[in-house]
Amino acid sequence: MTQRRRLSNTQNSPQSRQQPGTLMAQEEDDDSTFTQPSTSQVQRGLEKLTPAQVEQKTAEVVQYFLVKDQKKIPIRRADLVKHVVKDYRNIYPEIIKRAERTFDQVFGLKLVEIDTKSHSYILINKMEPVVGASIINPTNPKMGLLFVILSIIFMKGGLVRENLIWSTLKKLRVDPGEKHEEFGDVRKVVTDEFVRQRYLEYVRIPHTEPVEHEFRWGQRADKEVSKAKILEFMGQLHEQDPQSWSQQYREAHSTPSSSQASTSSQR
Amino acid sequence: MSDSPLIRTSGDNEAPRQNGYAGRGRGEQQQNDGDDGDGAFGPADLQDDEGDPSLRREIRSKYRDLINSVQQNREDMLSPSNNKLTEVLEQANKLFKDVRQAREAALDAQLLVVATDLGKEKASQLFVEGTAFDPTAFAEHLLSFMGLNRLEDGEDADAWHRVARKAECCFSTAPSFHYMMGSFHAEPPPPKQRIERQRKAPTKEAKRIMPTQLKKMEESHQEATEKEVERVLGHLKRYYQDDPESPIYYYEFVIDPNSFSRTVENIFHTSFLIRDGWARMYLDSAKLPCIAPVEEGEVEAGGSTSRKQCIISISPKTWKELIDAFDIRDAMIHPNTQH
Repeated sequence: MTQRRRLSNTQNSPQSRQQPGTLMAQEEDDDSTFTQPSTSQVQRGLEKLTPAQVEQKTAEVVQYFLVKDQKKIPIRRADLVKHVVKDYRNIYPEIIKRAERTFDQVFGLKLVEIDTKSHSYILINKMEPVVGASIINPTNPKMGLLFVILSIIFMKGGLVRENLIWSTLKKLRVDPGEKHEEFGDVRKVVTDEFVRQRYLEYVRIPHTEPVEHEFRWGQRADKEVSKAKILEFMGQLHEQDPQSWSQQYREAHSTPSSSQASTSSQR
Repeated sequence: MSDSPLIRTSGDNEAPRQNGYAGRGRGEQQQNDGDDGDGAFGPADLQDDEGDPSLRREIRSKYRDLINSVQQNREDMLSPSNNKLTEVLEQANKLFKDVRQAREAALDAQLLVVATDLGKEKASQLFVEGTAFDPTAFAEHLLSFMGLNRLEDGEDADAWHRVARKAECCFSTAPSFHYMMGSFHAEPPPPKQRIERQRKAPTKEAKRIMPTQLKKMEESHQEATEKEVERVLGHLKRYYQDDPESPIYYYEFVIDPNSFSRTVENIFHTSFLIRDGWARMYLDSAKLPCIAPVEEGEVEAGGSTSRKQCIISISPKTWKELIDAFDIRDAMIHPNTQH
């Protein structure tokens, strides 16, 4: 489409020979360096649009987020601009602001930018988890698996060798080398799916032969998962006071957990 | 050789003292070097020990065993309840007494790397404030939480769901969004992939089939038919040579009184003889069809000029009638015993 437009542009008005070049430059910007428009630019952009148009675009962005979030893989700003925002990129900050408001007030969700470098977003729940809610919503057993792994990492001080994870899972009858009836390819779920969803980070340990990796919490886990609650569960399991793990207890209660964060107001 | 003080002290499991020893050891060594130079160890001494290759091999093999045992029993050795790491280091210390060559020293160093790594992890276990976290105990508690028996191998379909339900309380995951009316695939499989999959499948199939096809060439249907035809021709020629005067009745020739299906096969194979001009058919005075092989010389001459085609039909009923009419007791074409 744009190509055709560009072509007709050059044919119709030889004076505007500069235009195609600038257009193309803008197009390429989508992926790598989308520059946030300034407040005055946004203001000027809004003046040219009707409120209904802006509302419509915001609704599209909200829907895009909701559908994309099904897979729990962070949504990149570049994709959002390329597939949905498109020509409205000059008022991008305004649209995101409105989308945030909609998520907050209508859905009880919070839109979080987890990576300021690659500009990717996730949605997290602002509501307190309701006990027994899973009777209505079927549980995903993978969350159990993830929970176990995150718990081990947290309890071991935030950084754990993969061997420890695999050997513990084996004790729980989940062998990473075999196909599990619930999880399928366990190794792939853990080192690929959870990593892409940013629940886990899986990093190679330098200078190891054979190659070894270690796990730590991913950005999504930091935002979504409550360390205090994990510790509480640990206490229940071991029949111990959660405070007896003093180091973990301090960490769980010093960093603002997601449930605390959700009550704080947004900008 | 300059590694030696470091490695020797690695056997000491009390960290602070170890460092002290190591430092002092190195100092002494350097002094020695300064005073006596390399002459501290006589070349003759070295040669004596180095001269025994079986001892060298034994040392290296013991080192490798030690390294392997450390790597394989890592989890065991990590458990705070045993002293295995110390035992390994003591063993290594004994071994090091006989180390003379660089290769052995390198193995010793490798063991040191593995042992240090293990020591580091052990230390991280011990120096955690408050209660240490034991993943083994955790796994066991979790198994009972999941309702799985530690000793039995039984599977409980609900086990992981139970954990997941608990996990949900700790996660503030946004509930995923679904359309109420039917399913909507957020990402339909790109058509490109589909094309690839289709292309790949037949090539795989073809690859798999190719070799078996080649192997079975001999027994392929085409070949089997040709063999049969030749066999039938052999029979025909033999009967003709035995008694060239009396005609061979076609029906007597092809009918197998014991098997209708073999009869049909015989008719089929015989038809090739006629088509290829190896045999000819004619009617005798009683208008019964007869068959005779064509003489070598006649093959060419017979040529395509006088060829005729006809279709023979046979049913089990006519087959039985023919057996009775010709009073056939034995098959002239003996069934192939090879198959």
